[in-house]
Amino acid sequence: MTEGEEPDPSSLEERRATTGQLPGNRYVRIVRPREFRRGHGGIYRATSEATAPKTGAGRLYDSVRRVLFGKPLTTESEAGERLSKKTGLAILASDNISSSAYATEEAMRVLALAGTGVLFLTLPIALAVVGVLAIVVLSESRVIRAYPQGGGSYAVAKENLGTIPGLVAASALLIDYVLTVSVSTAAGVAAISSFIPAVHDQRVMWSLLLIALLAVGNLRGIRESGVLFAGPTYAYMFAMIGLIAFGVFQVVTGNAPSAAVPLDPFGETGTEVFGIFLILRAFASGAVGLTGSEAIANGTPNFQKPESRNAVITLVIMGTTFAVLFLGITFLATTIGIVPDEFEQETVNSLLTRSLVGVGPYYYLVQISTAVLLLLAANTGFTGFPRLAWVLANDRFMPRQFAFRGERLAFSTGIVSLALVAAIVLAAFGGSVTALIPLYTIGVFLAFTLSQSGLVRRWWRLRPRAWQLSMAINTVGAIVTGITLLIVASTKFASGAWMVLLVLPLLVWTLFSINRHYRSVADALVLEDPDMRLPRPLAPIVIVPIARLDRAALQALAFATSISPHVRAVHIATSERSGVEFQRRWDRWGGRILDGGKEIKLDVIESPFRALIQPLLSYFDRIDERDPRPITVVISEFVPRHWWEFILHSQTAFRLKAALLFRPHTIVIDVPYHFRDTADLVHDHSKEPH
Amino acid sequence: MAYKLILVPLAGSAVDPDVVRLAVTIAKPSKAQIVGVHVIEVRWNMALDAVLEAELDKGETLLAAAAAVAQQAGGHMDTELLQAREASAAIIDTARERGADLVLMGMPYRKRLGRVSVGRTVEEVYLGAPCAVLAYRQEEPG
Repeated sequence: MTEGEEPDPSSLEERRATTGQLPGNRYVRIVRPREFRRGHGGIYRATSEATAPKTGAGRLYDSVRRVLFGKPLTTESEAGERLSKKTGLAILASDNISSSAYATEEAMRVLALAGTGVLFLTLPIALAVVGVLAIVVLSESRVIRAYPQGGGSYAVAKENLGTIPGLVAASALLIDYVLTVSVSTAAGVAAISSFIPAVHDQRVMWSLLLIALLAVGNLRGIRESGVLFAGPTYAYMFAMIGLIAFGVFQVVTGNAPSAAVPLDPFGETGTEVFGIFLILRAFASGAVGLTGSEAIANGTPNFQKPESRNAVITLVIMGTTFAVLFLGITFLATTIGIVPDEFEQETVNSLLTRSLVGVGPYYYLVQISTAVLLLLAANTGFTGFPRLAWVLANDRFMPRQFAFRGERLAFSTGIVSLALVAAIVLAAFGGSVTALIPLYTIGVFLAFTLSQSGLVRRWWRLRPRAWQLSMAINTVGAIVTGITLLIVASTKFASGAWMVLLVLPLLVWTLFSINRHYRSVADALVLEDPDMRLPRPLAPIVIVPIARLDRAALQALAFATSISPHVRAVHIATSERSGVEFQRRWDRWGGRILDGGKEIKLDVIESPFRALIQPLLSYFDRIDERDPRPITVVISEFVPRHWWEFILHSQTAFRLKAALLFRPHTIVIDVPYHFRDTADLVHDHSKEPH
Repeated sequence: MAYKLILVPLAGSAVDPDVVRLAVTIAKPSKAQIVGVHVIEVRWNMALDAVLEAELDKGETLLAAAAAVAQQAGGHMDTELLQAREASAAIIDTARERGADLVLMGMPYRKRLGRVSVGRTVEEVYLGAPCAVLAYRQEEPG
């Protein structure tokens, strides 16, 4: 380095030439910082030492985070965080599969209102629901193949029907994911309270605790949460398949057991008139079992490669599993003659298990695995919501924070936001499943209808190979899911569905407004010419507010004079006497005369009401009015040694910075004065380049 | 013998992971510091401090891989990247400058003219290093 040449501050590497023992044996040591590693193409990569906390409190906080959420994962390990078909089924299909535990009962409870004589209709209704599911699975498999990047219904509707239908689908799904968490957690706690009645009184508290646990589990990353949640899903599946196989064998061999009777069974004569509306209501209640079937299409990018193929296989396994369980339970319940309990004291699932195997270890296996799976079904919401929010954030319909991945590659903002909103909804409804259920399923069917309609338009527009078949499938899908939507909305409207229909347009408007904001910001910031030269600003007017003439003030003034020749100091005095005193001290101070003989001018303003910030802002306004140059405010800020010492200081600098944040045409520069720097008066000579 | 500093020259060959693991084993009882060093040999027609992007990339990658092997083996390895005309001279000078008490060198199994080849760098370090030198030859491939 030649004399007078300053070191390149951007260089992280230093090349130190060293002479070896023998003449001519020179070598160069490349001194690299431990915090950064040089990567391909000269791009530096921050190592774990760069992100390691430097203070004791930071290290303690870091340790707690490690215990709760695990070690940070690098971006490259994202591929290792992908889901296999096995974990994908557990994590993305738990909501759909778990609904087989209560879908039969939901349909039976509506039919039983017209008397137990019409309960035989549960099986045809279940067949209709499974028929709709088959169409949904077939249609969703086409969504997965057409949109492997995820986004599901939102992506399909936005691309083929337009932005507003896309946002309607997205809003419907976001609402449904929130409700999935609230309903599933409440249902799981209700199942636990059947074993432990004491839980019932504090069900809201227990539900909130479970939501918090699920959020933490998901913040640990999708693969780890998949491993956590796989056990209960498979335990439930195998327990129920075993039970159904045993039951069907007994029925086929003519050894069907007699039905277990609940404490308060529905009466033979009903309280409502039997008719088509009742059947449609029963169908709408049974259709609750279709929730969660969109989660796989939405989360396609979560799967291992080939993503689309693995997602479609998982979707088919999910649909088949649900159909087998739902039809099996319904067939056995109607064949044996199970009558549901009018006051929900015992579930149909429990009555069926009791009828087939009695109250023994297998009964408890079925009941416990059901309760745990119902709880974990909330996880589908934790997988779907953050992924959809990520897609929306990338399209700038949601705040950018939703697009960031946390240390464990999980969408932390989405997970935390979902947990908070679901907790608020759950608390607002007192943790009651009955109160929450009517709000559910509308969103799913609205999103299904829009995505199916979008695909119909896509096939018509693009006309790929065998487009007629795809279009026929999606047309049937759109009609069937549309009819189901109308049935669900009309039969559940009075009991709570109106709330969803009210919130939906508000959410659409919010997403649209967020996008409008981002678009206007992007328009203002975009570089129209890629070779645009740096603008050459005029030397600014620099104003240095000074409370006292001390070392901190001198440091700020020294910096101010280094960036512009037009520097003014300003002092706000709380009385005339103190103002005169400050002016006298300033005039005595020789440092105000610079090397070239130029003097730093001082303006003293008396503030009779002792306000500091407002008079300063008015002073800036007056200076600004008279001069086109930007105002630069250099603020001297004293930084104490410890954070708790902040309360001993007035924070004027902080308040002034906050007040100037939104002031146009103003640059704010903070010159911190660290307490430990007391020995260095204005600048440290030892740091000057030689 | 209690070692304080073990210098491990690394060339990015298949024997590197074995040598690093051996270094960790030797260092453990005396809690010796391990320094992995890679020397980029600069041709005579170029400036000694020339920025050789491809070689730097390779060097950083192999040093990072070696540090990871050391960590997996339960040790820690600092790394150093040098540029010199002759790798052996830079290794010998670094060993002297840092006060290393052992240079642990790896030799990939190579044959030349029917005989196992030691390699020029290993030979020169073996002859010129001021401290003990341990050469680890990779086993004969089966």
